[in-house]
Amino acid sequence: MKPPPPLLSVRGLTKHFTAARTGFRRRSVEVVRAVEDVSFDLVAGEAFGLVGESGCGKTTVARCILRAQAPTAGEILFQLPDGRVVDLARLTERELKPLRPHVQLVFQDPFSSLNPRMTVRDLVGEPLVIHGRARGAQLDEGVCDMLRSVGLDPAQRSRYPHAFSGGQRQRIAVARALILRPSLLVCDEATSGLDMSVQAQLLELLKELQRELRLTILFVAHNLDVVRNFCDRVAVMRHGRMVELATTPEIFSAPRHPYTRLLLSSMLSPDPDVPMNLNVGDELAKLDSTPA
Amino acid sequence: MTPASLPLIEVSNLRVSFFEAEGVIGAVQNISFSIPRGRTLALVGESGAGKSVTAKSLLRIVPSPGRIVGGRILLRSRREGDIDVASLDENSGLLYRVRGGLVSMIFQEPMTALSPVHSVGSQVAEAILTHQDVSPAAARRLTIDMLAKVGIANAADRYEQFPHELSGGLRQRVIIAMALVCQPELLIADEPTTALDVTTQAQILGLIKNLQRELGCAVLLIAHDFGVVAQMADDVAVMHRGEIVERGPVRQVLKNPQHAHTRALLEALPSRRARVV
Repeated sequence: MKPPPPLLSVRGLTKHFTAARTGFRRRSVEVVRAVEDVSFDLVAGEAFGLVGESGCGKTTVARCILRAQAPTAGEILFQLPDGRVVDLARLTERELKPLRPHVQLVFQDPFSSLNPRMTVRDLVGEPLVIHGRARGAQLDEGVCDMLRSVGLDPAQRSRYPHAFSGGQRQRIAVARALILRPSLLVCDEATSGLDMSVQAQLLELLKELQRELRLTILFVAHNLDVVRNFCDRVAVMRHGRMVELATTPEIFSAPRHPYTRLLLSSMLSPDPDVPMNLNVGDELAKLDSTPA
Repeated sequence: MTPASLPLIEVSNLRVSFFEAEGVIGAVQNISFSIPRGRTLALVGESGAGKSVTAKSLLRIVPSPGRIVGGRILLRSRREGDIDVASLDENSGLLYRVRGGLVSMIFQEPMTALSPVHSVGSQVAEAILTHQDVSPAAARRLTIDMLAKVGIANAADRYEQFPHELSGGLRQRVIIAMALVCQPELLIADEPTTALDVTTQAQILGLIKNLQRELGCAVLLIAHDFGVVAQMADDVAVMHRGEIVERGPVRQVLKNPQHAHTRALLEALPSRRARVV
């Protein structure tokens, strides 16, 4: 039997940014190779972790999939609920709009991602309005249902974001992302700014919703501990390239790439008797001096 | 006890309140702790527990409308003798010598803690010129030495650069240079690595450890990450709603927590949790 086609298939994804430098005499163009030839598949229903340090290109990959940015090269093949497969990399803005409900995003910072002048009802209902899915009483009902499923009290829907804690705001952001019933949810550091216990609760909620709504989740993060806990497979990025891709148990118990091993050895154990790696700086320098 | 064996800092019954229009909020309620020279105390807790307000009290920089309303902050300085920081006059010269001289602080966000319009070197030199009687040329030399000591290569060239030209890790090294250049007796580190990548975090924590050993200063570490606490602290105090609910040596608190809140915090660690399935 043939395995089912992946929900998303990224092939040779490349994104270069050009920064023009105006000097006194001459102008030069600097090319930043943010993402270089990245390929991976997302299997329907899985949680896929994309990890790496700041500047490694993980967010750029996510932004290309969301088509918040147009890739320089490569394919992003996405399977629609009706079975058709489209290449998101090639579509125009106009062609993308009807597809946007299928791929939604939760940002890192719930303080800046929610408009402070909109009520929770408007924040969560807005996607339905934009895509002409509901209005009036039906809209309100949809919002209330969604708020309940993220663990918020619908009675509070006329309040503004400032009345909610960081964890509650992130639940509002999740409700806003999921109200269109996407098949792919991209979480870009969605739990990074939260306290440990709040983070744990939000991860549990995401897991629950993932099962309930049969979501596929692309989980972009720098915290390896969270990824170990949440994801089925993990890809590690460095300097715009994917250096390793494996199942979560493989990455954490038998990492193959030296950079993955270095990342893991940099993690701090909450056990005072497990000493930290004090040679990270030297090991990084060694990694940089040896050609890949 | 001989004076040398008494703790460098002894905070007793400290209370800090915020006088808001809606009423008085007791941010820190009657807490006591002490730190001997050369040791590190970690103050842990969730956001809003009162950790940062406690830290700021030691420098008397609690933001308005907050105020220290009771308690004592006894600093047994080698250079200045015994000082009750809590009762110092706002305009006293001694308070200025405490701030940044005897007690200095590493802030969480290296981008906002540095001025964007001054070169990083001049910002470190400013700390020297404020607290030491040296010429600008000498301050410059001391700064370059200090930048090299915190692991910044080509320190003389880096001196002229601005914060936006440096990576997050380098910026945090500059902040550490700034905090330690006057050889404080107490260093307060408020979430010093929260904004950094894991490999950078490991390097910065190693640097703080080494410099602490060299200077022999006491460290008050504010943290919410038990990994950082386990690796850095000798003792731990757990804060919850303005109070210290548990205190003890790091192994005892992390391995055999007594208070329900400490246990709840430890259970929230991803590595301690069963896989979410």
